[in-house]
Amino acid sequence: MLGEARLDPTWDRASILALFDPATGTLDRRVLSDEALYRLELERIFARGWNFMCHDSQIPNPGDYFINYIGEDQMICVRGDDGAVNVLLNTCRHRGNALCRAEQGHARSFVCSYHGWHYALNGELIGVPGQKTYYRGDLDRSRLGLARAAQADSYLGFHFATMAPDAPPLHDFLGEVGRTGLAMVCASGEVEVVDGVQKNVIDCNWKIAVDNLFDWYHVMYSHASAGHSGILDLAGILHPNNQMVMLGEYGHAISGPGVPKEAQAKIDLMSDEERSNAPGPAGLSRLRPKSATELMGPNGVRSLGHPNIFPNLWITLNGMQMCLRLPRGPSKTELWWFTLLPKNAPPQFRQRALRAAIHMFGPAGLLEQDDGENWSQSTRSSRGFSSRRLGQALSMGLGHDEVTEEANGERYIDTCVNEHGQRWLYRSWTEWMAARDWAELEASHSPAPTGRV
Amino acid sequence: MLARLDVAERVQLQFDVEQFLYEEAALLDARRYRDWLGLLADDIHYWMPIRRTVTLADIEREFTKQGDMAFFDDDREMLEMRVRKLEAGSAWSEDPPSRSRHFVTNVRITGVEGDEITVDVCFHLYRTRLETEVDSWIGRRTDVLRRHGASFRLARRHLFLDQTLIRSTNMSTIF
Ligand code: FES
Ligand SMILES: [Fe+2]
Repeated sequence: MLGEARLDPTWDRASILALFDPATGTLDRRVLSDEALYRLELERIFARGWNFMCHDSQIPNPGDYFINYIGEDQMICVRGDDGAVNVLLNTCRHRGNALCRAEQGHARSFVCSYHGWHYALNGELIGVPGQKTYYRGDLDRSRLGLARAAQADSYLGFHFATMAPDAPPLHDFLGEVGRTGLAMVCASGEVEVVDGVQKNVIDCNWKIAVDNLFDWYHVMYSHASAGHSGILDLAGILHPNNQMVMLGEYGHAISGPGVPKEAQAKIDLMSDEERSNAPGPAGLSRLRPKSATELMGPNGVRSLGHPNIFPNLWITLNGMQMCLRLPRGPSKTELWWFTLLPKNAPPQFRQRALRAAIHMFGPAGLLEQDDGENWSQSTRSSRGFSSRRLGQALSMGLGHDEVTEEANGERYIDTCVNEHGQRWLYRSWTEWMAARDWAELEASHSPAPTGRV
Repeated sequence: MLARLDVAERVQLQFDVEQFLYEEAALLDARRYRDWLGLLADDIHYWMPIRRTVTLADIEREFTKQGDMAFFDDDREMLEMRVRKLEAGSAWSEDPPSRSRHFVTNVRITGVEGDEITVDVCFHLYRTRLETEVDSWIGRRTDVLRRHGASFRLARRHLFLDQTLIRSTNMSTIF
């Protein structure tokens, strides 16, 4: 299914790789607005990659479903009668009608509203009206089940799917950095999604919404009014000189404030009880329990920053929220906010945590309100004939930092505010876009950086 | 208690409630947010749940419940923070300021308990920004007005929007 698209003649391998120059951090603005690149992204980024679908707790029982997307393809994530999660394309094999019209719900099976074809929870076509009388018995139902994701798997209760049969297993795709990022959500124990996914749409390219999550440079300026409102102490959470970056294979990254090594050494000596009574290092958060080191690694556990699971899953609020940036054309992006809390959280903690999420992020959140317009205006200026030729300058910190490599394989950069995460995102993106299939991507992509960056 | 009011009392109450809602809307349109705060009761709950597209069989799950996720779940302190943000001089999503128009219609008094009046209202909040941004938010809301001298204080505003996917960059405005 993949690798068959005819490449727009403008975008051969060399011209795609030239869209980002890792030596200077210059990004061609056309990556935010070009129609042909966008169509190629649907195949080479979204259909090829592993996409977040839902969390276990959203579909606890057989028949529970949640609708999500791989690029612009609508997917049904439904728990089957055997308890396994099926990820199916939400399109009838007769004429393509959408089977599920609701965003979430419960079904015993799926019946198409057009002509009544009837599918089991695993996608099997189990009933066709008039199969004997009108089709005269010559319809092969076994060939016309709902199309399934090529692979579906989960890690720590997070379900992912890919349309690429040749994609590496989820565990390998995530790698150290992706797994550490997801573990941030579960660092204090098992979690569940709170009812209600906030969804809104912004007139911007999906990538600028993604790269912004690594951007701890804009916080003091873009979000100055949130600081002024009194909702949070911006300087207190920012730690501009204690930033930690982890760059992972295939484009995953974590970037943001980090607990300095010396401070972590003291935390490591504390019992879980002492930790739960101590104030968190970033104002918002509590100290992670001992078990988190196991999940996140002895250095990963120091991160209070933002993981992005390539391409588009942001983990924020110290693991309490996840936000998908879903592409809707080169200059439209849907933001979907998932909120996760420890199972059986005490009511007071729950209320405080939810208020923080609602008041900070989402379209009405005091922090998030000011981001959208920066992104939509930057996207807009990538369309003008003259402005799009100027490039974007992502050079902060380039060549000034060193990747530390531990014996256990952990790699990280301790530094100040920087643009390493953005550069790694766009470098990886060009490599994904230039490769025809997974074999070519595996053979040609950059390994996670070592040494000077 | 509503049923015990005679026609003249009901007409008077309807008039007073509507005038209060119109004045309140005018303050917001005029960006007089400080004055608007003055109309709020100290224990106000200002809440907008998330709406979902669900099947009829699932319709009781159309809106999230109190205590789950929402777009707004504000007390007075939080609303004051929203206003402080708007006044900061650096609230970039509202500077240059949006142009907003608050319409209030289908005003139905559905309950009178002691000094509290419950009012069901259809609203339309229209906002434009910069050259091309247009937002149009239509929905129903339930307000509770508490008598305060000759006027009222707003003690509750629960907003039920007629959108599931919010078709806007943000909701940096006050409904
Ligand atoms: S399109 Fe689904 S049954 Fe015809
Ligand atoms: Fe931001």
